[in-house]
Amino acid sequence: MNRACTIASGLLVLAAQPGLISAATAPLTSKTIAKSPGAADTSVCAACHGANGEGSVAAHVPRIAGQSAEYLQKQLDDYASGARDNPIMANFAKSLSVEQRGQLAKRYAAMSAPFLSEPAASPKELARGHQLAYQGDENIRVQACNSCHGPDGSGVLHAAPYLAGQSSEYISSALKAYHAGSRKNDAGELMRSVAGHLADADIAAASAYFANEGSATHP
Amino acid sequence: MAQRLKEVDVVVIGVGMVGTMVSKELAAAGYKVVGLERGQTRATVPEFQSPGIHDELRFDVRKALMQDNTREPVSFRNQASQVALPVRRWESFLPGTGLGGSMVHWNGQTYRFQANDFQLATRTRERYGKTFLDSDLTIQDWGVTYDELEPHYDRFEYLLGTSGKAGNIKGQIQPGGDPHESPRSREYPTRPQKEHYQGALFRKAASGMGYHPFPQPSSNLSEPYTNPEGLKLNTCVFCGFCERYACEHYAKAVPQTVLLPVLLANPNFELRTGCQVQRINLDSTKKHATGVTYIDAVGREFEQPAALVITCGFAINNIRMLLLSGIGKPYDPASGQGVVGRNYAYQTMSTVASFFDEDVIINPFMASGASGTLINDFAGDNFDHSGLGFIGGAFIGAVNTNGRPIQYHPVPPGTPRWGKAWKKAVLKHYNHTVMFSLHGSSQAARQNYADLDPTYRDAWGQPLLRITFDFPQNDLRMAEYVTSKAVEIGKAMGAKQVAGGPRKGPYTITQYQTTHNTGGTVMGESPRTSVVNRYLQAWDVPNVFVIGASNYPQNASWNPTCTLGALTYWAIDALKNKYLRNPARLVSA
Repeated sequence: MNRACTIASGLLVLAAQPGLISAATAPLTSKTIAKSPGAADTSVCAACHGANGEGSVAAHVPRIAGQSAEYLQKQLDDYASGARDNPIMANFAKSLSVEQRGQLAKRYAAMSAPFLSEPAASPKELARGHQLAYQGDENIRVQACNSCHGPDGSGVLHAAPYLAGQSSEYISSALKAYHAGSRKNDAGELMRSVAGHLADADIAAASAYFANEGSATHP
Repeated sequence: MAQRLKEVDVVVIGVGMVGTMVSKELAAAGYKVVGLERGQTRATVPEFQSPGIHDELRFDVRKALMQDNTREPVSFRNQASQVALPVRRWESFLPGTGLGGSMVHWNGQTYRFQANDFQLATRTRERYGKTFLDSDLTIQDWGVTYDELEPHYDRFEYLLGTSGKAGNIKGQIQPGGDPHESPRSREYPTRPQKEHYQGALFRKAASGMGYHPFPQPSSNLSEPYTNPEGLKLNTCVFCGFCERYACEHYAKAVPQTVLLPVLLANPNFELRTGCQVQRINLDSTKKHATGVTYIDAVGREFEQPAALVITCGFAINNIRMLLLSGIGKPYDPASGQGVVGRNYAYQTMSTVASFFDEDVIINPFMASGASGTLINDFAGDNFDHSGLGFIGGAFIGAVNTNGRPIQYHPVPPGTPRWGKAWKKAVLKHYNHTVMFSLHGSSQAARQNYADLDPTYRDAWGQPLLRITFDFPQNDLRMAEYVTSKAVEIGKAMGAKQVAGGPRKGPYTITQYQTTHNTGGTVMGESPRTSVVNRYLQAWDVPNVFVIGASNYPQNASWNPTCTLGALTYWAIDALKNKYLRNPARLVSA
């Protein structure tokens, strides 16, 4: 069994899908990543994040194509430093220099990829997601997601990642991690503050809503 | 004919910060309270959400959150010899309207005044002699001391969650804070805001000159905070849309974020919006209020009887409410007699712009309303005024609140006001300029006052408030002196060009300066020189309390909000523990 399989099956939030990482052609170790020809070689990333950074709905791997380069680099830096806790990504990120992380981030920021189809969501769920995205909810003291995440959740350069078209499972797991306080690399505890007010149903609704908005914001 | 409603215990006029605090405390103590707000109800969601709330044309230029001066303007003149005209577009100051009041659009700058300020007349005489003051000044002591207010300052700051660094805790000077401040009982509830680059430049230069820079106390919070009322605020994101706007992030302390939800959940409180109070009604003795008369949003007139009336409006509206109601003797500048409208004061603002080369990147748009760095070395009475010929002072600070595209265009003096050369200068200087704010005191003077306009009326047929104001010579001399000190700091920062603009007379109503109107219903120790006693109770009508910046006998070197919060808790304490135990009588000292 190659290293990538071990990695995929080790992800706590993932149902391992060995087929997904068949694109990986060589045993992946920190060493081989670091030695990859070309500083921004993406073949290792592609094993999970897809050939074009489209992510994987089934494996709960986020879409990174077209994501803000600043955001991607911060996440890689945080995985490397431990500020964002994820043993799999930490392993990869630590094997890269700061410059290599920056180059990878820029490369994915420049990519485009088709949107993957998402599990069906009910109209009621989508309506609640729309409310949280556009308006927020005074009853739970939550501001509109789009206040920071940009028009229609399309992201704000330098500041906030796009949400539109992101995998619902990934958004959901991120919000749950913020809610629980296990993800802590948000500036000013901004996401922990928001997610702390969200019930499970709100998290599901916002995640489903944004996951289905991809083609609306990234033509 | 007014419809007469069922009597309640308390009517509160204006549901801004003060009205919310008063209502919350009295409703919690079991009294039936009705809050009458002339504007609309508003909440963080949905009214304050972006992108709508970041509409600079709507909020900054057209001033959407402000008192509707198509229906209710003020009239203005510089001197009593002139004819006042209605102000049809707010410029110099921006009184808000709607639930939450003016605080909804504040910057969050949360200073205490100093012990000296509350005894200004006495301390000035003691330090500089009886003949030091210009003869037109009518400054006086407040009737309350800093030590009496300290617990209330503390409570207000902890309600807001103010982010700052103490400079003096119980007499012990604290490194990093303001060494000039009067002693506070404990540290600020949250740590100071992050310092931006221009603040760092200022800090370095000011420290090098022997001054004492410190982080501006901010009620746009530096970190998440849950206040004693159980309400949680978020960290400010430095979007640069505080003043003139509302905060969409639950990060700015305003009634909606720190207290209103608690008040609105109390069944003893009833909020009525769209209610324009016409007057406080008095009985035939004119010594006792029977309630208020108001007109609702569809034009119906109501009489709301109440045992206690508390007017909690913006300073100018408190003055007007008393004048319209015949409470207290109106001030006459010719004779110096009368009290309502007397000692109207403002703030003496100056600016200094330091222009740098293009390798100094300021990024002014990454801003919060109170994230500056400043010094108090030339504020209040923190420096010796002997031989200077004036009292008072100003804080000097790199206080950058925004870099918004329509309104923020620093250019050096001599730049054309429009056209190609102006555009070129804006491009060159936008990101390479440090603006200092000089926030100066305003001394009350005999010639400055407010009364009812003899000609102009509002949409309901009531006379407008007429403001007569110009800067006293004392304050212009102060601005000249302190601005020269600020220019030296700009030069020490290494700026290529420093343009100092001390405030000059005459006062102009068509240029924004600050929304710190004070006085007109001042507090004090004698009914001859004040409208309310030291508990903010009307001398002439004991079941009326007046709470607002209109209580300030003169204005100090700092933003007035925190002192007003402290005064409000001080008055609430007197209401609950003194007045309501023996109602409708003057509370004795």
